[in-house]
Amino acid sequence: MNNDFSNPQRQSLIGVLIMFADTLQSAIRALFPILIVWIIKIDQMNKIYLTIGILAVFVLVAVIAYLKYINFTFYLDEENEEFVIKRGIINKSRLGIPLDKIQQVNINQSFLQKIIGVHALEVDTAGTAQKEVTIKAITHDLAQSLKSRLLEGIKTTSDNSKVETESYDTVAKHAFIQISLLSLFKTGITSNYVRSFGILLAFFITMFQYIEDFIKYAEIEDDPLDNYLRTDVILKFIMFIILAIMAMVIVVNLGRTILKFFNFRITKQNDSLLLSHGLLNTKNTIIKPEKVQIVTVGRNYFQKKLDVLDIKIRQASSQEANNQDNKKTAIEIPGCNTAEKDMLLKFLLHEIPQEGIVLKPNIRKILMQSIKFLIIPLGAYFLLANYAFTELKEYMLFLPVYILFISLVMYFGFRNSRLFVNNEFIIKQGGAWDVDKDYIAPHKIHAISVHQYFWHKGLDIGILNLYTAGGKISFGLADYTTLKQFVNYWLYQVETTNKNWM
Amino acid sequence: MERFTNETIDTLSLPKFEETVLSPLNINYKKIIYFNLGLTFLILATIIGVVLYFIEESRAYVIPAILAYVVLLLFSIAVNLISFRNRGFAFRDHDVIYKSGAIVLETTIIPYNRVQHVTLHEGFISRKLGLATIEIFTAGGINSDIKVPGVEKEHAEKIKQLLIGKILKQNTINE
Repeated sequence: MNNDFSNPQRQSLIGVLIMFADTLQSAIRALFPILIVWIIKIDQMNKIYLTIGILAVFVLVAVIAYLKYINFTFYLDEENEEFVIKRGIINKSRLGIPLDKIQQVNINQSFLQKIIGVHALEVDTAGTAQKEVTIKAITHDLAQSLKSRLLEGIKTTSDNSKVETESYDTVAKHAFIQISLLSLFKTGITSNYVRSFGILLAFFITMFQYIEDFIKYAEIEDDPLDNYLRTDVILKFIMFIILAIMAMVIVVNLGRTILKFFNFRITKQNDSLLLSHGLLNTKNTIIKPEKVQIVTVGRNYFQKKLDVLDIKIRQASSQEANNQDNKKTAIEIPGCNTAEKDMLLKFLLHEIPQEGIVLKPNIRKILMQSIKFLIIPLGAYFLLANYAFTELKEYMLFLPVYILFISLVMYFGFRNSRLFVNNEFIIKQGGAWDVDKDYIAPHKIHAISVHQYFWHKGLDIGILNLYTAGGKISFGLADYTTLKQFVNYWLYQVETTNKNWM
Repeated sequence: MERFTNETIDTLSLPKFEETVLSPLNINYKKIIYFNLGLTFLILATIIGVVLYFIEESRAYVIPAILAYVVLLLFSIAVNLISFRNRGFAFRDHDVIYKSGAIVLETTIIPYNRVQHVTLHEGFISRKLGLATIEIFTAGGINSDIKVPGVEKEHAEKIKQLLIGKILKQNTINE
């Protein structure tokens, strides 16, 4: 094991492959529009030029990857207590991270990295100003010793007890929570129905249209589809498609869940949690309770029966605060059972939140949503179908399905919508199928806003928004007087607290 | 030790944000509103004029176009005037309140101990009128930031100093 990091060194030689893959990926992304054109016109193009073109791109990418590899060095500047990374082919850059600013060092492995046997080392720094640093290809031993060396640096410079120098192989042996394959299986077959269904439906519709276009393009006089498409056949066909989609939804979700969350381990490291999971890409994440802004616990009817639930954790970041309801960036812990959920909540929020005073939404919420999702879209549809595009009338068959679906979503969404308030927590419950509970502590609030449409003034109903560094929480339409009372109370709590939001 | 355990707090006796008297924006800010409206509608009128002049088929729609233009203009003026009348701000001991909106009336409140930073800026016209905009940022995302336009320059400077003082005081308490 080489423990001397004071001399600049490169990544593992085999890391050129990683560089190559990365560069190729970004090249493909940049050239995507051109590639599409190439693929469409592949018949009309000169094969020789095409081959030369592709080869040229590959050679160029390889050269760039090699230069990137050659120019990427890292070392430890003992004198200034800095970890230094130098990179850049033409524009050289030197990035120095003071050792005491290093918050966490993670070792990750993607599928490609797993194949060629290298690891990625991520250095997470305090503050949002500095971007995190990744060394993409070093051997496991080197990664481990560099990790402990980097974190050791903090120990000598400051007595930050949060830091854990133990190698994660030994830590993994006493896992705090381990999600079993069975739980993942349960989660896989019960979650993300709506999203996957939407994606697959879109896929099938595009395929269908593509086939029709193809038939037209091939100039077949009798469209064979039209002959087959009698009502009973259509119904059978639709039934078949829907069943096929449903089956695929389950398979796709199951595959995705297991791929992403296989061997999910949560380890306690002093006062933070270390999450590690993944079948092909191994991912490590650190959660510090003081950085957690919103904890979301969600489950649907099936998951309730099977005693599994999903936990989503949103930490403070400018990115999260700005993308509102988008939970994509949240850290997800799938397939917990009730006991594990309670353990996690206790650790993250220091206690298991109790539901306090309940606030229900006003019945007007349904009216407002009907206008938004039924009256306006249907009105627009009929207007267009009658006056502009008569071919839209063919889709009339789908209207009852749409209306039924939206009505059910609205009804259950309304029934599940609740706001619970007590001294320590604000709990917002919502959702039609997947019922989510968002937990926030009042001292994590940054700003509160209430708003009201002018025609709701007489009815005394309004909408509440709570802004945290982990995103926004909205509740409404509900009794405005009560909301204002809560607002006054939360303001009092935020303004008198000594607790930091981070 | 700083755990909040006061179970029976009387929420009704807390100071009420909705009863705070808000200061209106400077009356000169109306001029900026009119200027912005005028500019927008001048550009729109120019575009309509150009289209009508160069595309002959579009001339059949000249009356609906003018009608729509007038309706839009009147609607915008009404919304802007109502919104001007509705706007107001207040700096309380522990937080800042800003109210705005015409169709939707929104009140945003930021406690001083959650303010990240404060900026002051003047546009071209507002500088001529001696007005400034105060922007108050939090870590809660761009939607939660408060932007108070149409405050007299001198007043705005004072508010900024006050806020900075509050932020600094909060920081020393926390440390």
